[in-house]
Amino acid sequence: MKTFSLSRTAIVARKELVDLLRDRKSIFWALFAVAISGPLVLCILYFVTKAVSERIDKITAPIVNAQFAPDLVRHLERRGVKIDANPVDYEARVKRGDLDAVILVDPDFASALAQGYPAKITLITESSRDRSSPIAAKLSREVQSYAARIGAERLMLRGIAPAVAMPVKVEELDLSSPEQRGARLLQIMSFYALFAGLMGAIAAALDVTAGERERQTLEPLLTTPVTTSELAVAKWFAVSSVNLLAVTISLSGFLIALQFVPLAKLGVPFNFGAREFMGFMAVLIPFAFMVPAVLLAMGAAGKTAKEAQSSLSMGASLVGLLPMISFLRQTQAPWWDAFVPVNGQYAVLSKVLRSEAIPAIEWAAMWLIPVVIATVAVYAFSRRLGDEKLLAGR
Amino acid sequence: MISAQALSKNFTVKERTSTFALKTKTRVVSAVSNVSFDARDGEITGLLGPNGAGKTTTLRMLSTLLTPDSGRATIDGADLTQQRAAIRQKLGVLGDAKGIYWRLTARENLIYFAKLQGMSESSAAARAELLISELGLSALADRPTQGFSQGERMKVAIGRALIHDPQTVLLDEPTNGLDIMSTRSMRELIRGLKAQGKCVLFSSHIMQEVAALCDRVVIIAKGRVMFDGTPAEALKASGATTLEDGFVKLIGSDEGLFA
Repeated sequence: MKTFSLSRTAIVARKELVDLLRDRKSIFWALFAVAISGPLVLCILYFVTKAVSERIDKITAPIVNAQFAPDLVRHLERRGVKIDANPVDYEARVKRGDLDAVILVDPDFASALAQGYPAKITLITESSRDRSSPIAAKLSREVQSYAARIGAERLMLRGIAPAVAMPVKVEELDLSSPEQRGARLLQIMSFYALFAGLMGAIAAALDVTAGERERQTLEPLLTTPVTTSELAVAKWFAVSSVNLLAVTISLSGFLIALQFVPLAKLGVPFNFGAREFMGFMAVLIPFAFMVPAVLLAMGAAGKTAKEAQSSLSMGASLVGLLPMISFLRQTQAPWWDAFVPVNGQYAVLSKVLRSEAIPAIEWAAMWLIPVVIATVAVYAFSRRLGDEKLLAGR
Repeated sequence: MISAQALSKNFTVKERTSTFALKTKTRVVSAVSNVSFDARDGEITGLLGPNGAGKTTTLRMLSTLLTPDSGRATIDGADLTQQRAAIRQKLGVLGDAKGIYWRLTARENLIYFAKLQGMSESSAAARAELLISELGLSALADRPTQGFSQGERMKVAIGRALIHDPQTVLLDEPTNGLDIMSTRSMRELIRGLKAQGKCVLFSSHIMQEVAALCDRVVIIAKGRVMFDGTPAEALKASGATTLEDGFVKLIGSDEGLFA
């Protein structure tokens, strides 16, 4: 079969697309999952962040033995902290999580303070509980501010400038621009956009490979003049179109969700406009064509739908796990990371969100690497479609 | 006109001695060896043999799905291995796998294959309409084939094989799983093809069917041709009074039927 007919390829591609889109239930659920999951995570993150900042603003300090430190209580009250004097059974309640942290005043606090010894305050907390730690940190900062005030007053009484006791002052200069700080929360978007470029392809790839074999329609097809390379290209094109649809739906889902989630109120000046949308599409279009090629090559290897499904889910989890490395990595990414499929895409998408300049070589990698991988995978796929061993069911 | 000369096909099977064995042994299974026969235009040729005799493998080689290990075959003068594309246009195949697309209607199934055979949009639609009425599918033609009965599906599959009006038709067990009415209309259809001067090669393991239809019968067992001639000659050669007895004698044993 040396000839390659474009018109036959178009006939197959059109039929595959019609066939795929008529599979309403699986297509609907795949696209629905893609459309909803990213925005859902965004909303959850928004509400969690909001709840945490509200809890820290309206803080209550449970103080045991408050009567020994009336001055501290007054200080806290002036700073807007509500006081819960002498909570009962506080250790058990901290353990259970009813209380986030408790300030325990030493019975000798007043006398130690009067004599100029360090007066003891114990902060009881449960550090393994994530939601308690910001509250504990806030309480600790408030007590520190009381201590700093007393210290400064003592120095002034002795005629010493408080600055003398502060030989070094640490000032933090955070270099991340406001956009960058917002983008950190929204890197989740990069992840879910790539996720869409995978989810949209799985069901379709399974259907046109193992599904065709299992429904026994591949054999009749191969007795017509259509060649395996025409079939492979057509099927790849059809699955990629569905995948591209999934990616577009996912991004649109984010665009809509961002209209309803007032991120600006949280101090996250986030921008996902036309420029970012175009940047995302420029990365995701080649990606949406690369993933199906790989999945098809894997799916065609199976003799049954079940075999195909397991070899296909291997490919799927690979795509899903690679960005986890970027998520969890503590050190800076090595230079070649930009050229690893999936990871490179993830890095460039994050740069688009952070409004960073993207070098031409990285743009080239976004297109050239998928083209190479897709070519090899589609070739392998076409070879497998005509494999006599799989045909004979052996 | 099909002319097959000494077609052979082996399969290599990998086997493990036990579930946990790491090494696999390769075993060569001879599916078809030295199969030669002719099937002429205007005749119905039956490929008769017990299960596993090599009928499907022979038909798969003739329909270009499998490449023969040795031997050659021509269909209307076109060589099986050299002119695959030409062969595929000449042949109408109802193979072992008779699946149709569930989510497409009967008409869409037919038109898809018509277009793949290179027919234009309008002639594909016209030919599909003709076959739909000939096969009695008019009431169902525009429904997805998902809910079709086995007989209705078989009709779509046979329509698909005949969509480009091929001169040579290969049918692999075309009545398998059909009820009496559907079997009768399938026979009717095969006779109609003969009347049109087509070359029909069909395989079956059912004696009565072959006796009722065939001009010539090729009996194969264990991948080899045991007999090639008319049904009457088969009776004479075996010395039996019924074709069934003749068949058992010609294939050399009766265990083949249950093998």
